[in-house]
Amino acid sequence: MKGRTVIAFAIVAAVLALVPQFLNGYARSLLYITVLYVALAYAWNVISGYAGYLSFGQVTFFGLGAYTTAISVTRGNLPWWEGALLGGVISAALAVPLGYLMLRLRGAFFALGMLGLAQTLQVVANSWQLTGGGSGLFLPPGSNALPAYYWTLAIGLLTFAATLFIDRSAFGLRLQALREDEQVASTLGVQVTTTKVWAFVISAIVPGLLGGGYAWYLTYVEPVSAFATRFDLQAVAMTILGGIGTVWGPLIGGVLMSQVSEMLAAQYPQAYLMIFGGLVVVLLVFLPRGIAPAVSAALARHRARAAQGHR
Amino acid sequence: MHAALIGQLTIDGLLVGGVYALSALGLNVIFGVMRIVNLAHGEFVIGAALLSAVLFERWHANLFVVLPLAFVLAFGLGALIQRAFLRRLPEDLASAEATSLLMTFGLSYFFVGAWLTFFSGNFRSVPYLTGAWTLGPFSIAQARLAAFVASGIIAVLLALLLRYTALGRSIRATSQNVQGALACGVDVERVRTLSFALGTAIAAASGCLLILIFTVNPETGANVTLASFAVIALGGLGNYAGTLVGAAVIGLAVSFTGYFATAQVAQAAPYVLFILVLLLRPAGILGKSGA
Repeated sequence: MKGRTVIAFAIVAAVLALVPQFLNGYARSLLYITVLYVALAYAWNVISGYAGYLSFGQVTFFGLGAYTTAISVTRGNLPWWEGALLGGVISAALAVPLGYLMLRLRGAFFALGMLGLAQTLQVVANSWQLTGGGSGLFLPPGSNALPAYYWTLAIGLLTFAATLFIDRSAFGLRLQALREDEQVASTLGVQVTTTKVWAFVISAIVPGLLGGGYAWYLTYVEPVSAFATRFDLQAVAMTILGGIGTVWGPLIGGVLMSQVSEMLAAQYPQAYLMIFGGLVVVLLVFLPRGIAPAVSAALARHRARAAQGHR
Repeated sequence: MHAALIGQLTIDGLLVGGVYALSALGLNVIFGVMRIVNLAHGEFVIGAALLSAVLFERWHANLFVVLPLAFVLAFGLGALIQRAFLRRLPEDLASAEATSLLMTFGLSYFFVGAWLTFFSGNFRSVPYLTGAWTLGPFSIAQARLAAFVASGIIAVLLALLLRYTALGRSIRATSQNVQGALACGVDVERVRTLSFALGTAIAAASGCLLILIFTVNPETGANVTLASFAVIALGGLGNYAGTLVGAAVIGLAVSFTGYFATAQVAQAAPYVLFILVLLLRPAGILGKSGA
């Protein structure tokens, strides 16, 4: 089982790495966007799905990564991937104290605390000289798309592997325990604070790293798109569609919705917001656990029936 | 710093605070009865604000016509949302809270998109009552004073409703103890619907007043939600007297940062205060500790 998982993982990784060679520019950009959105959904799923702390501001770290990269390239003459790596490091370093502070808040307080954080950083980016103010920073254009894709793919695969690990590990069990009841989890010996801060750091470092790739891909960074809360709306909608707090949920939801998302967000932003916002509401009423649990339940039924047939 | 300037900014801040207080009262009514923080609250405020701006542009519609209209429309919309979606929240309290947050988060974006469709992304305001009265060294903007007074009247009406009517008693009973209210024959489902509708309608009323003072577009709703939530977080959730104190603090913060920094920084001021207070006094300024 373990070996088979590794082999399957390696095959998928190899295919995703080779596919861009056979695609035109438009299909490549769709592939990049899909991988990016799926990875962002996986990152959100750790703190909000497994740990149950609903964050509507993980885009904070995405914007932080994008700006760190843009500043490193334009003002520090670093290669972009060093800037992107730095973005991840800064996100992680910031997530530790921020996690200790914010995760003392629960429910709406945490959710709005994170939402406001993203908005506040947007104001900072808008008013600060270092970040280029409202007009943002421009990176050298060129053949940026492919390197950004490989960067995003590598991080996406790592995030998926991390989720696979979390789902099967004692750490994941601790997260789910504190999601169900923090006090009981604490009584049972779970180091609640340490556990949830770890989850928060994972959910921060991933968008922090991805933001750099996005800045390099777009070749510019500006406050509104870097700290766009729509990235969180997207992560929420995709993860709920696929199945919140599951291994396959973000992948299923992300793959299904990325194309729709990209097409609508650029051309019909109003319809985009109505469809994604409405989708979240409707899913919570009619399919609150998402597609993945429904599929695995159907598979289990099928297996049971097959086993009965053999007898 | 000049004393007259401080006085002026204090007056401006307190007058705006009245409108924040009204919006926060709407949020608080919903939270009290349903234990839901409505993340789409700001969108209802902004929707009504934009509606009144458009009606003013087209037909020069008077505030006293638009406010009741927005109130009634929002009441119906709120009742509809509660009946269609929020009523179906899971029974279990912890997952009901999570689901309600996700659901109202989705609703908030749905309405941002809807308002962008109806009203476009333009910033709008209502140039109504643009004059000012002079009072010694201070000037009192008529629009601010009107918004403050109207907010006060609506808040008093709300207080009377809660205190003296059968509905008000049912709302308070449900806020205190759902089981007890059920045992006394209160139709809790109906109370929830009416409370959500009432909270939404109050949000709309505050929106009609807010636009007398500020310029808004569909994307400023999240700031209003944050500011309203900051007000009740400062005052303590469910604490109506605390709401007034919280609103005064937020109003002053917005007024002073708006003058000494930029209007944009002023939008972030409620949030920064909110975080500071939550971290230092999680139960709010007036709240009992340990909540």
